[in-house]
Amino acid sequence: MVLMLPFLLMLSQNAHAIDTEYALKAGFLYNFARYSEWTNSPTTLSRFSLCSPDSNFIDVASTVLKNRAVNNTPITTLTVSLTETDLNQCQVLFITSGTLTLWNNASLNELKNVMIVGETEDFIAQGGQIRFFLSGGKVRFEVSPEKLLSANITMSSKVLRLGRVMEQ
Amino acid sequence: MTPCVIAQEPLSNLDLDLDSLMAMDVQVTSAMKRAQSAFDTASSIYVLTKEQITRSGATSIPEALKMVPGLAVRQLDNNQWAITSRGVASRFSAKLLVMIDGQSFYTPKFAAVYWETLNVPLYDIERIEVIRGQGGLLWGSNANNGVINIITKNSIDTRGLHADISSGSQINHDANLRYGGDLGNKGSFRVYGHVRDGDESDKGIHLEPADFTEQHSAGARFDFTPSDEWSGLVQGNITESTLGQNFRGVIDETNRNVSFSGHLDRTDSRIMARIENRISDDANQMLQTSWLKQSGSQTFLQEDFSSFDVDYQMNFLYGDLKFDWGLNYRYNDILFAESSFVRSDGGYNTLEQYGALVQAQYTLIDNELDVILGAKIEHNDLTGWENQPLARLVWKLQPNQVLWTSISKSVRVPSLIEFNDDFTIDGQRVEEVSPITTGIDMIDKYYIKTYLNGNNNVKSEESVSYELGYRLSQGHWGLDVSLYHTEVSDVLAVEVDANAEQFLPIFALLQQGEIALAMQSLTTTSINFDLVSNAEVTTNGGDIILTWQPSDIFNAELGYSYNTFDDNLAENTFRAIGYDSTSRQLFAKSDIKIFEQHRLYALIRVENSDAYNVDNYTALDLTWQWAFHKNWSAAVIGKNLFAGSHIEYNNTRETYTIPNYIDESVTFKLTAKF
Repeated sequence: MVLMLPFLLMLSQNAHAIDTEYALKAGFLYNFARYSEWTNSPTTLSRFSLCSPDSNFIDVASTVLKNRAVNNTPITTLTVSLTETDLNQCQVLFITSGTLTLWNNASLNELKNVMIVGETEDFIAQGGQIRFFLSGGKVRFEVSPEKLLSANITMSSKVLRLGRVMEQ
Repeated sequence: MTPCVIAQEPLSNLDLDLDSLMAMDVQVTSAMKRAQSAFDTASSIYVLTKEQITRSGATSIPEALKMVPGLAVRQLDNNQWAITSRGVASRFSAKLLVMIDGQSFYTPKFAAVYWETLNVPLYDIERIEVIRGQGGLLWGSNANNGVINIITKNSIDTRGLHADISSGSQINHDANLRYGGDLGNKGSFRVYGHVRDGDESDKGIHLEPADFTEQHSAGARFDFTPSDEWSGLVQGNITESTLGQNFRGVIDETNRNVSFSGHLDRTDSRIMARIENRISDDANQMLQTSWLKQSGSQTFLQEDFSSFDVDYQMNFLYGDLKFDWGLNYRYNDILFAESSFVRSDGGYNTLEQYGALVQAQYTLIDNELDVILGAKIEHNDLTGWENQPLARLVWKLQPNQVLWTSISKSVRVPSLIEFNDDFTIDGQRVEEVSPITTGIDMIDKYYIKTYLNGNNNVKSEESVSYELGYRLSQGHWGLDVSLYHTEVSDVLAVEVDANAEQFLPIFALLQQGEIALAMQSLTTTSINFDLVSNAEVTTNGGDIILTWQPSDIFNAELGYSYNTFDDNLAENTFRAIGYDSTSRQLFAKSDIKIFEQHRLYALIRVENSDAYNVDNYTALDLTWQWAFHKNWSAAVIGKNLFAGSHIEYNNTRETYTIPNYIDESVTFKLTAKF
């Protein structure tokens, strides 16, 4: 408890909107991971990596997802550069609105086996498979199952039906 | 499902269940006329969750409200209800603000809510927030005793088909159909319809029950999200009802109440639109406009009411300060045809209200102590400017413990019938009101024409309320305690003006032996019951709610509410609504998932009160649901079990409706979702 106190104070000082929003989005990403299957991945991952080029997001996500696991594989959160070497270790990649330019400028080959999620308009057209949006102050998402499939990921219908499914 | 105590968890303890994440607001400033976190709200709040509503098998809003500890929900017959909190419930005066998505259903004519025609599809309700006491007084008019805000789901969350049909011992059929879908990638919609054909009660008190229901409703909601910064919604509903009822009124020279069976035709329409804008990460604004139209027609009463509302609110954070302000305007159009027993003094066919609210929450000690100051200032056409200030303190003793306290003043503006109308009421006998009796039965037992007169000397009731609350969330347990003391002044009372001098010429005639002339003179006399604002009422009470959720498949709740009302009346007056009384309620709920496909929901209510002129009763509601297919489920719903035939409300002096016995009922329900 005492150990947690400075940590809580730190959170409360900047526990403003953006933290809550990122915390919720980190929670959604965790659920996307839990309810999806990476069909082409080695069956024994030693860790499940959630990555973003945005270190602010990773700070929040590491708090929210501390001690969480996806199918018994512990989650790690990583701040990454948008290079193929870095991204090859990721299962989920989140491109925040602040890092969209980096994403659009990165010249990457098509990433397989990575779930790519964004929060900006047209992100699915820009190489993503899932995009968050806000409706009435709450987080909702759009998803393209085909694009997920071409990255060798299938998402459970339980989650798909909560999202707005984008047809090709 | 932890209905009442949801701790504002630090981010590390965020509930990562997808349902919870979808229900959370991204910004603290986005709470418009609703509670942000029930746990650290400085008022006595109870959140009725969508899970509770569906699992209980409730078939109407009032039935769902029966689950809320501290709400007095009394059923008059199979379609009429009296509902309030921290007060004595009455059919026509509730001091309770009822809203659907922030749209107020306050009618300045009666200050009543027509619960029987308030159609909201229960399966598309997100949650119902109930504030007991004055905690929501900034939210709108008539919120003195509490607020009920019914929040419906965003249509993006109701895409697909829902169909259900129920039938049972008191419902011939009740069917719902909804279809929802996307509108491109910027919006979504749902359309729905509802029909209900309800039976009469089994047993009446004086008359054969006539309380059948025939009701058709249709509605739609559209949500638009052009960008993350802007969103909008438009929704509307129309409900047509034919409701049977037994009622009474004075319509002839006997000057006595005559009982009737008849029916009431009503059409209730509502439409609202809201635009929300996220100005920045720390600021939001909202503009909402709504229109309400209610028309009712029955043998002796015709009414037409419509209102138009515009509300603007802005909420922002500035350092340690959270600031909310808003403006509101309401236009009411009231048409009430003269009838043999209600007459209007005239002059108030339209009423306007306008005002402003401001609330500031300042963090004195980070994450520990917040102070809240607010006020609502509003002008109305009957009593002019009124102001309602409040001050609150929220002290987070520990991350899992909150202590709050509040002092507030609220104003209850008289309804138009109290201010401007006269009623002919059940006649008084000469011997009851005259200083001397004659010994001649024909005279002494003659019923004199008697009026209840609303008048413009009626003032606004003012109440000052002191509240204290404590919440604890510990492991699987939650505790929510609230206590209050409220003093109300200028309370409406009825003063009897027997006008004794009017009998003197009659006694003179009698002394001259002119009995026939004396009788004839009697027919020209009248007694006046005048509404006056000179009573004082002190109310004390509190609510304790204990929740226990040891696992995902079981949760339970125990609630106890106590309210006592103590009148201080001037000589020769009596209370218009309620009287010295004490109400106690005990609630026990359990919700258990048995095997994979079955669920059992039980609610026991013990209603112990001397406020309604009825016996105490204990009722069990029991619902068993069986999800026998991924798209289909069946339910058996038992209501008022073991309570026997009982009367829940018998303050017949206050109502025009004649209540019936309430009986146990069994309903079968089949639900499909695709």
